[in-house]
Amino acid sequence: MFARIVGQSFARNPRRKLLTMAALVLGITVATATLTVALEVGDRMAREFRSLGANLLVTPESDTLPLEIGGVDYRPVDEGAYLQEADLGKLKTIFWRHNILGFTPFLDVPAYVSATGGATTLIGTWYDHEVAVPDGTTFKTGVSATHPWWKIQGRWFSDAANECVVGASLAAKYPGAIAIGKTIYVAQTEKSSDIRPLVVTGIVSTGDAEDNAILVPLSVAQGISNHPGQFRQLFVSALTKPADAFAERDPKSLTPTEYDRWFCSPYISSISYQIKQVIPGVDVRAIRRVAETEGRILSRVSTLLWIVTLAALIAAGLAVAATSAAAVLERRVEIGVMKAIGATNTSVTALFLTEHLTLALIGGAIGFFLGAGLARFLGASVFGTPASPRFILLPVVLGLAILVALIGGLIPLRRAARFDPAPILRGE
Amino acid sequence: MAPLVQIENLRKEFANVRALDGVSFVVQAGEWIAIMGPSGSGKTTLINILGGLDTPTSGRAIVDGTDVARLDENGLARFRAEKIGFVFQQFHLVPYLTALENVMLAQYFHSTTDEGEAREALGRVGLTDRVEHLPGQLSGGEQQRVAVARALINHPKLILADEPTGNLDEANEGIVLKLLRELHAEGHTILMVTHAASIGQLADRRIDLAHGRLATEHAARRV
Ligand SMILES: Nc1ncnc2c1ncn2[C@@H]1O[C@H](COP(=O)(O)OP(=O)(O)O)[C@@H](O)[C@H]1O
Ligand SMILES: [Mg+2]
Repeated sequence: MFARIVGQSFARNPRRKLLTMAALVLGITVATATLTVALEVGDRMAREFRSLGANLLVTPESDTLPLEIGGVDYRPVDEGAYLQEADLGKLKTIFWRHNILGFTPFLDVPAYVSATGGATTLIGTWYDHEVAVPDGTTFKTGVSATHPWWKIQGRWFSDAANECVVGASLAAKYPGAIAIGKTIYVAQTEKSSDIRPLVVTGIVSTGDAEDNAILVPLSVAQGISNHPGQFRQLFVSALTKPADAFAERDPKSLTPTEYDRWFCSPYISSISYQIKQVIPGVDVRAIRRVAETEGRILSRVSTLLWIVTLAALIAAGLAVAATSAAAVLERRVEIGVMKAIGATNTSVTALFLTEHLTLALIGGAIGFFLGAGLARFLGASVFGTPASPRFILLPVVLGLAILVALIGGLIPLRRAARFDPAPILRGE
Repeated sequence: MAPLVQIENLRKEFANVRALDGVSFVVQAGEWIAIMGPSGSGKTTLINILGGLDTPTSGRAIVDGTDVARLDENGLARFRAEKIGFVFQQFHLVPYLTALENVMLAQYFHSTTDEGEAREALGRVGLTDRVEHLPGQLSGGEQQRVAVARALINHPKLILADEPTGNLDEANEGIVLKLLRELHAEGHTILMVTHAASIGQLADRRIDLAHGRLATEHAARRV
């Protein structure tokens, strides 16, 4: 009978409920849309930061400017300072070690390559290298972590083998001599006796200078150039917090408490500072600052979306309160009659509460689907691609709808249950 | 045998109005009482207190051994469900429930529903072919008959009817009065408020109220 009463109330007396329902649908539509877009923003931010790869460049302090023409470094090999490969494990000992997602050393070496018949840059690096960390563990890293956007055709060299990967432009220039599976011979100069055979395992395109070079395991480049255990540049991929005014402060000007807070925030500046502490004598530069600002804007957009969500839910709650107060007033005779024939306050409350919950579920479900549609549209206009519906939000949104309906309906429903039937039924 | 209704020195004061000012009387089981008096004399207040819709300021109102003044809110709800059948001047059916569902609503708040019994009650008031109609689709007289069926469905000790024919035309008034007469003949105890002397005469006894006090009490002429 309970269900029948509620059902008939919906089927035959929908007028008042439509208003409450409309309030819920609107609120939930906006909330769903903003939550969906906020999730999308979060995902995109995470993805963007992840695909970002390296965002810090570590070089020896006051290194000479590279003399690079057509992708070939014409600096004498001996010029400038080098960094020690043995120091790299220390990066995983800094305070923000878990935010160091990867790092890759680079050593550019001018070399004589048989297949090109001339000077070609060899770039020694890691693809997926195991680094010993001072705490006894190991950490696997290399360009796989710091340069995820590099496209490889074939496969990468393995760091311990006599293998190499050739830049796409270079490979295109020597289609006969350079191809996957062929062996090329490299040496420091044409006259060197230390000639090394390297099997080409892949062709890489980076959209950068590497396209005109040959990438080899770091140890090979070190051997050819006689710089064992050394390298010149380090790309670090660190998970950082978008910079704010506080991030830009000079750590020397901070009070000890401020310093702690700064040190314990994963700003690019504080991570750079910590890198300099473990590897002295280096410059640390942030790269890809464009993405940084973009991230800052996205995180502001996301904050804004949460505020809009909250505002929409509060507005819906107020509208529910107003419409259900009106509905309850209109139905007070009905409440009086129910009490006259024996209904307790509890049973009246239960009936009205169930109506509200039903409204919340229907309104929430409708709002979810409308909101998903709105999110597609918003996503398309904000990101250029529609934000896909998140079904994980459905239970969340239904829960919010119930919360809004109950909180909004609380005061009117309590008043309804306590209506004194006598004056109502007098019909005065 | 103890009287079914026993009222002693009943008083009810609203903010600044003394609606009942020391009323006492008894009603035996099976009696049909007409409560009469001018507008504002306290008739509805009296009925409401007897039916547990309102509580007296002082005095006692004992119905079937229960002093309604002593009941709390839930006690009053139980009392109304089990002992009282109300019939109002404005019918007061739930507009979105059919005739049948309106009767079953009273069963639901009393205990459990029994559709067969509810249909039977509607048949008893001559509405067999109107059970699935909504109140809006029924005439005033038909609505009041649904209300009578609803009042009867839980076998109440006391039927309280506040001007049950006040909103009806003469033909429907006749039908409802005939029903009350039948109920009385079956042994139901009825307290009925009315303005019309002609209707009052149908009852066993008249209780006249004036300014919240008992004016006269005289045995009505038996019809
Ligand atoms: N809720 C109330 N608040 C204030 N005064 C009331 C209330 N209910 C009834 N009264 C007053 O009590 C008196 C008796 O009312 P009522 O019992 O309805 O009389 P009747 O039914 O005989 O017309 C009237 O003066 C009426 O105005
Ligand atoms: Mg009255």
